[in-house]
Amino acid sequence: MSDAVREAVERLLPGVEQPSRYVGCEWNAIDRRATAQPYRAVLAYPDVYDVGMANQAIQILYAMLNALEGVACERVFVPWKDMADALRSAGVALYALESFDPVNEFDLVGITLPHELAYTNVLELLDLAGIPLHAEDRSDAHPLVVGGGPCAYNPEPLAPFFDAVLVGDGEVAAVEIVQTHRRCKQAHMTRRETLAELAKIQGVYVPSLGQHRVLRRAVADLDAHRSPACPVVPYTDVVHDRVAVEVLRGCARGCRFCQAGTIYRPVRERRPDSIVRDAMAALRCTGYDEVSLTSLSTADHSAFVEVLGRLGRRLQGTDISISVPSLRADALTPDVARLLGKAKRTGLTIAPEAGTQRLRDVINKNITEDGLLDTVARAFASGWRRVKLYFMIGLPTETDDDVAGIGELVGRVLAAARDAVPANERGSVRVGVSVSTFVPKPHTPFQWEAQPPLEEVHRRQELLRERMPRKGVELSYHDAEASFVEAVLACGGREVAAAVEAAWRRGARFDAWTEQFSLDRWRAAFEESGLDASAIANRPRDPFEPLPWSHISSGVSTAYLRAERERAFAGQTTPDCTFAGCTGCGVCGALGVSNVIAGGVRV
Amino acid sequence: MSEAKFRLRVTYQKVGPVRFLSHLETARACERSIRRAGLPYAVTHGFNPHMRIAFGPALPVGTAGRAEMYDVWLTELVGPDDALERLRHATREELRAIACRYVDPKGPSLAAAADVAHYEVAVSGPPEVAESIARGLSSVSRSGTLTVEHKGKQKVFELATTLLKEPVVRPVDEGAVVEVVTRMSEQGSLRPDALVKAALGPALAGVASVSVTRTRLASRAADGTEEAL
Repeated sequence: MSDAVREAVERLLPGVEQPSRYVGCEWNAIDRRATAQPYRAVLAYPDVYDVGMANQAIQILYAMLNALEGVACERVFVPWKDMADALRSAGVALYALESFDPVNEFDLVGITLPHELAYTNVLELLDLAGIPLHAEDRSDAHPLVVGGGPCAYNPEPLAPFFDAVLVGDGEVAAVEIVQTHRRCKQAHMTRRETLAELAKIQGVYVPSLGQHRVLRRAVADLDAHRSPACPVVPYTDVVHDRVAVEVLRGCARGCRFCQAGTIYRPVRERRPDSIVRDAMAALRCTGYDEVSLTSLSTADHSAFVEVLGRLGRRLQGTDISISVPSLRADALTPDVARLLGKAKRTGLTIAPEAGTQRLRDVINKNITEDGLLDTVARAFASGWRRVKLYFMIGLPTETDDDVAGIGELVGRVLAAARDAVPANERGSVRVGVSVSTFVPKPHTPFQWEAQPPLEEVHRRQELLRERMPRKGVELSYHDAEASFVEAVLACGGREVAAAVEAAWRRGARFDAWTEQFSLDRWRAAFEESGLDASAIANRPRDPFEPLPWSHISSGVSTAYLRAERERAFAGQTTPDCTFAGCTGCGVCGALGVSNVIAGGVRV
Repeated sequence: MSEAKFRLRVTYQKVGPVRFLSHLETARACERSIRRAGLPYAVTHGFNPHMRIAFGPALPVGTAGRAEMYDVWLTELVGPDDALERLRHATREELRAIACRYVDPKGPSLAAAADVAHYEVAVSGPPEVAESIARGLSSVSRSGTLTVEHKGKQKVFELATTLLKEPVVRPVDEGAVVEVVTRMSEQGSLRPDALVKAALGPALAGVASVSVTRTRLASRAADGTEEAL
């Protein structure tokens, strides 16, 4: 079978953009001969190869599942439109990259759900694979379709399309799912019986069994699971084309709009020894010229400076650089600037999110203006010439003064940057300003809040444009229309699934790609499925009303989220529990975990 | 930083599905294989240090290569057999290193020196396809030139100077193989599949696939003889 698919695909490749996305046979990918195991899984990412291969979960689970006896795990991504259309017209079903075997012949298809705008791509993937879109239409011969990732925390808008959804960390749970499924298959259980068995695994939600209560999975110790030593090395120029070592998981800073801040709690740091060991091993095994230290906020690692120093010494005199994709505003100490100065100097990115201290207190973003200006001055004095600032419009309690405050803050950042560089280089100073729209996310203190209506978002964007300094500033907006659809998909219940399907049937795919997104198409889909989208995205909720995701628990208590909401409106900040004492979010008790701080204390 | 003293010329193949990699993708994959092999490669000085390496002429996306080349500069001498062994362990079969030798560090670049390319064009189709190609080739060569359209631009090739040998057509089990030797120049090179497709004319419709493999790169001496690189 696979040879026929391979030949058919090779006939299509000369006619498509970037054929390297579809050829497989990358370094460290499992051998084609090793794919013939009794149990076969395929991991899917609902976007093109170049985006999907940057996802660390895929690399982690790929390595873990392939290490299991009798199990082979392959990968698949959504072909870009040209290739998808070519596959359809040639009658070739979507195939897994290692064996070229059709995806619908596998035992399990695991699909990561990274963000809401990827939902139509999930349907595109299933359809291209020839798997019935609705779980209820699948027979025992079809693969088990399992979701996971951040969007699993509100699984309802995709519930009809999944047999099961895993909520939380996949390290242990994915293996349990595979082994349970394998056992059920060996016992010749029906699909229904199998799903009932899967639902017994903590963290697994089976939509067809009704809205049963699910408590998320969390690994207690990240160091018990190595960062992949031999990740697959793409040929295609992918989004993050480098070794990625996750240095810590979780962030307890407690920004009130941030879903990651809830669903990845508590903080679990890797020890410096493991980080250096895993980075060096992966560099040797891949041949990459860059290693990236990843997390939600890498400089929060209690031994960050030590790790940077040790890696820097190991890599001295080579062409291999270190990058830190997410730096906190106050993290660029002279030490860090010096250590990173030797490494590849990518842009400096800071996320103040709001323009005034008042609103930053409401959202619990502990960045002060003085701290921000100090960081910028230090960065530009030590050689940086660009800084990118992230802001959000439409946050709860935002007024026009807060919007105008963004422009004023950017002006002061620009002045601080110019003052820090020699007079003849002032012309090269650039401040990038990226402004997105607030999207209320499940499991956050702002989950009950409304997104301002589109016209209001546009008015505030216009106001901001007027207040923004022109020279030296590059202002960009995230598509407000896409953020509206994102809010509907994030906060809706099972009734939203029909709209997702209608949008896909009308041609929606790659919605996260600005030029592919069409609000008109989504509006038509909402209307066709009888959905009042505005009542989902633009309506404030009562903090005691049941929410579509109430049956899914992140471990953080709803009472805590309510209390945080109250504190937000009172302008009170809440400290990070890894620096100060416990703030009572409840996750450690609920999941039997606790913060793991490798350096003993955070500084 | 150590000096770039030794210039190792590596011959590798690019076959199977990886023939669809672009030149840039192939180059990056080769660089990574050198790092994995742990060869003592030289690094350029300057703000953004990178490996000192130079590639031979690019292969078009979709064309396979049986003997492609790059030069990598080393700071220490590694026996060529040892270097080859290390590279072979660090490359997939589809991009396998197949020969290593040292060349004069001051010699001309591969891109400049390689001006002769040998190709095999495999045409899969009915048994009579070899004959139609042979007929077509002689009529194309009688006309003296071949006009090829690429990305909307027309390019005219003088066959007498472009083709270094008379193309040879061999019938095989499921079609034909055409051997073509072309001269490469900075003005562009004739793609052998364009020649074969032109020779096929309307018979192209009956052909299942045309695939190209570059089998050898060489340099042309002043007297017209070929020299290995």
